[in-house]
Amino acid sequence: MELHIVVCIKQVPVSNNLKIDPISKNLMRSSEPGMMNPFDQNAIEAALKLKQLYGATVTLLSMGPKNFEITLRQGLAMGADEAILLSSRAFGGADTLATGYVLAQAIKQLSGVNLVFFGRQSIDADTGQVGPIVAEFLSWPQATYVSKIVPINEKIIEATRLLENSEQVLEVKLPAVLTVRSELNDPRYPTPRNIQLSFQKEIKVWDENTLNVDVTRIGMKGSPTVVRKVWTPTKKAKVAQSLGQNAASAVKNLLVTLRDNNII
Amino acid sequence: MNINKEIWIVAEQHQNMIIPVTYQLISKANTIKGDKKVVVILFETSKQTLENLIKNYGPDEIIVIKNDKLLEAPDSLIADLLAQLNHLRKPNSILFGATVVGRSVSPRLQAKLRTGLTADCLDLSFEDDLLIQTKPSYGDNVMCEIVCPNNLPQMATVRPNIFIAKKETKDVVITEIKDLLFKTNNAITVRTETPLLSKSDNLVNASKVIAIGRGIAQKDEIDLAYQLANKLGAKVGVTRPLTDLAQFSVDDQIGQSGSSISPKFLLTLGIHGAAQFTSGIGKSNIIVAVNTNPKAPIFDSADYSYVGDAAEFVKELLKAL
Repeated sequence: MELHIVVCIKQVPVSNNLKIDPISKNLMRSSEPGMMNPFDQNAIEAALKLKQLYGATVTLLSMGPKNFEITLRQGLAMGADEAILLSSRAFGGADTLATGYVLAQAIKQLSGVNLVFFGRQSIDADTGQVGPIVAEFLSWPQATYVSKIVPINEKIIEATRLLENSEQVLEVKLPAVLTVRSELNDPRYPTPRNIQLSFQKEIKVWDENTLNVDVTRIGMKGSPTVVRKVWTPTKKAKVAQSLGQNAASAVKNLLVTLRDNNII
Repeated sequence: MNINKEIWIVAEQHQNMIIPVTYQLISKANTIKGDKKVVVILFETSKQTLENLIKNYGPDEIIVIKNDKLLEAPDSLIADLLAQLNHLRKPNSILFGATVVGRSVSPRLQAKLRTGLTADCLDLSFEDDLLIQTKPSYGDNVMCEIVCPNNLPQMATVRPNIFIAKKETKDVVITEIKDLLFKTNNAITVRTETPLLSKSDNLVNASKVIAIGRGIAQKDEIDLAYQLANKLGAKVGVTRPLTDLAQFSVDDQIGQSGSSISPKFLLTLGIHGAAQFTSGIGKSNIIVAVNTNPKAPIFDSADYSYVGDAAEFVKELLKAL
């Protein structure tokens, strides 16, 4: 069985310094085109490593507006074989459930996919939910927050999952979904030759008509969550008491304070 | 049993201990529940009796599922059992700690139940039966209020150490549910789980923390900070920019996209004090800030300040200790 690996990637804003429109309360996205979510680069690297080992087709999959092609092109330049952009107005306003559904339907439409990689989470929405949702919709096992991959053979992967204060070693039989941490690997840079080759590869665009989807489960209609309000956090100022004008006196006063509070 | 009137908290355990966020969620749910009941869902092996620990925090009920297959159960099994329980009792909401396990199991359950899930909430409240969920977004520069108006259960993962756990004496109903179907699946096996001296865990639970930022980022300066940490018995945490250095990772990071800390004593060295950082230190008891810039916003979060070079301050403090 030939390995067919799908890597789901997302384009995120270059800067997280977003502003809120004071009237509409909407986020004012910067006009910058965006970049590939950093964890997704680790996911592509993991796929390419397996391709080197066993041979594989690596397909990139992303859902978003047309300008997400920049990020898909970058992934192709890293060495992925093909790229599909799921793009349609009907997909707009999707939360994690509707996004996961569309991605899962696209993966089902591709033939013979046996491994799907995600980055552990996107750095804009920070949910980390879409990978497990896709795993559930595919009825596949998952290994999330993976920090180490030891391929046993083309059908079994040993994955180390890093938890807050422990480490799990999982044996995963393919097909499966893996979401990866940055500790997993160092993503490669695109070589000039691969950059050139990437422009010969076509980025396919699929919409709700290409895919077999239930239109009530996509986009805003298929999204159970609603953002009611968006604001920038404000902090309440404290008045700090000065410890002193020079380091020596400041240290002296600090030690008094720490002793008074039973800290030392 | 009250249809749609239960707030569920899915307990998480490691090494035969319930993790603190479970207790924090019980206490928070008790304060916002109104006419609803707080119900903890506990998965444990036949020999475990963790319900005796959970009882001390005063939920209304603990639903216990005891089975030796729950030793190192994969996410998919836990999600499947929760879906079965959900069909039995139809809760209003299901809350998880925003831990690796919580953030991995909950989306699978969400997909099974086709409902909403909000990640990494910093606050929760109710308007009647509608759960109002506050979460950060866009690298924590933005806060969002999220609701799930048309689907039940309303699901959320909640960041650890945002709420304070309080013990409460109450008559707690303990219900063991035995007739769940354990779907066996050999596609995934948890081979081992090894405790780690995780840096983030230490940072999160530490009673003393030294936080370092760009103003003290040279190698020899970082060494000084570690010497001080050793002398004080403190843990070292960093701001987001320092995670670019090889020796630090997101696990060492303090702030909205890293860890929230609640030490008795926090010393910030060479940290300017962006909102993304200061939002992670609000629960600290005494905050001492050292920075060369007297206008640095960190001083608005600090109890004590020293305007000057952080490395020099540390050298002086090392001499005095």
